[in-house]
Amino acid sequence: MTDTVAMAQVGTAAPRRRRLSARQGRWLSTCGGLIVVLVILAIIAVHLWPGFDAFTQDLAHARLGPFVDPKHPLGTDVVGRDLLSRVAAGGQTTLLITAAIVLVNFVVGTVLGLLAGFFGGWADNVIALVTDVSLALPAVLLLIALSAIFGPSALLMILVLGFTHWMSFARLARATALSLRSRDFVMAPRMLGASSARIIRTHILPHVLPQMFIVAVTSIGSVILLQAGLDYLGLGIQPPDPTWGGLVLEGQKYMRLSPWQVILPGLAIFLVVGGTTFFSQRFTAESTQPLRKVR
Amino acid sequence: MSYVIRRILQALVTLFVAVTIAFVLGRMSGKPAALILTEGATAQQIDELNGKLGFNDPILGQYGRYLAGLLHGDFGVSYRNPGQSAIGIILERLPATTTLALLSFAIGLVLAVVAAVLVHITGSHTLRALFVWSGALRSSVPDFFFGVLLVLIFAVGLGWLPSLGYTGLPSFVLPVATIATAQFVLYVRLLDSALSEQTTAEYVRTAYARGKSHAAVVATEMLPNAFLPILTVAGLNLAGLLGGTIIVEQVFSWPGMGVALINAVSQRDFAVVQAGLLVVVLIFVVVNVVVDLLYSLIDPRVKLA
Repeated sequence: MTDTVAMAQVGTAAPRRRRLSARQGRWLSTCGGLIVVLVILAIIAVHLWPGFDAFTQDLAHARLGPFVDPKHPLGTDVVGRDLLSRVAAGGQTTLLITAAIVLVNFVVGTVLGLLAGFFGGWADNVIALVTDVSLALPAVLLLIALSAIFGPSALLMILVLGFTHWMSFARLARATALSLRSRDFVMAPRMLGASSARIIRTHILPHVLPQMFIVAVTSIGSVILLQAGLDYLGLGIQPPDPTWGGLVLEGQKYMRLSPWQVILPGLAIFLVVGGTTFFSQRFTAESTQPLRKVR
Repeated sequence: MSYVIRRILQALVTLFVAVTIAFVLGRMSGKPAALILTEGATAQQIDELNGKLGFNDPILGQYGRYLAGLLHGDFGVSYRNPGQSAIGIILERLPATTTLALLSFAIGLVLAVVAAVLVHITGSHTLRALFVWSGALRSSVPDFFFGVLLVLIFAVGLGWLPSLGYTGLPSFVLPVATIATAQFVLYVRLLDSALSEQTTAEYVRTAYARGKSHAAVVATEMLPNAFLPILTVAGLNLAGLLGGTIIVEQVFSWPGMGVALINAVSQRDFAVVQAGLLVVVLIFVVVNVVVDLLYSLIDPRVKLA
């Protein structure tokens, strides 16, 4: 009796982890993806727009608000540069650098993970050591130290973030390779004399790649946040070239005079990061499930 | 006991590696005399000063002297402010950073525990949805922009709080709010899922069978178990915060270590950068050791052997 009462209590009072229904989740995810696509299209469109000019100063038309002057749809900054153009140009830089960082992470993580999982033994141990060291190195501090030596640059940021954030790729690639390496479809070509390189390329990689794309998509948001933060600190791309983080830094100085200058680039970051987060929610539930049965 | 010793030895090795990397980076940054002397200095004067500072000696000798110096707390002299020791510039700013970090961390964590326990005691879906959604929104906003928004609203717009620098207690509100909300969001999510995992555990059923009320079960039985996984994340975060509230410090012109580091980078003052990095690494390593030891103390299932 007590037991049933207790169970009933558990059932009603403690909320079960209620997952969003599949349809709701898909809808949210689609909305997120749509927002990101729209922002990217908007950035491209602004670059093609005849009034596109992120650098010319025009003090006569400084500090215009949004939607006042049709020549400057989103207004101008304190020295009269067109804000729409600057935010779009900053978006292009920020997104391209993000893509470069994610790509480096993708390649480094996948290769190391495959090697560790497929060969095991000392290869696994060495790569585990490399992972531990990279985890212990705070990327921001490393970038600070290297910027103090070489001076800040986009290339330096891509390399530092690219070579310090590949662990989630490697972990999953290793686990998959490990679980596949003794399967029949891997053993069979080996007995026929296929080289390890060929087996990895034609039999293991096709199973790993889709998962790596999912990891890539889920990591975009955090890479943008990190990178924008470093640009904000002045450790990334240097002015006058605009980036979203750099534009916020620039706008913060004048936020009393023209708050739009700081709000617009911040809003852009928020839209893209929020969009990718919601978009990737569709995959995170799947990727944490046990490995799908492979035909 | 041997676990404690092993863990501490491991930490010492990590420190040694960090110290060595800092030395190598320091030598890569070049000889400092050109930075210390005024513009008009001749090549001979520059070379002389480099010699006097020991930068022309064999590299191993320099390394030995550097290690010996560190053991005596000597991190060299700032290249830009020749009167001041590099470590002095950093340590002078350290308290502002630690206060900000500890305060924000504690507020974020405590509020998260209260919120997660409340969700589970009331069983309210609305409450949970509120936390989930506000969390998703907050984590899509970068810290620096969140800070700027707070300044725009509460300092520029409403004029309730000071916007920049440290001018007494009210200055803490906005930077602490920026960091604490980010921490809160993270811990609420982790605690909520950890608590949910406990609901079906046998010990929970036993507790109900003993006649404990639902609130008591959540607070005294489930919470301690759910808290363990949070501890690891919280420890890493605390270490990260103590060493690096850099971005938030920059937003609010906080007189902390992060701002000192960034200034040193822009001035190419590598002695200060090096001292700052070593202090951060030391904090990081010590906090991690403490958390690991604490973990095995709290959870007897983690063997000390």
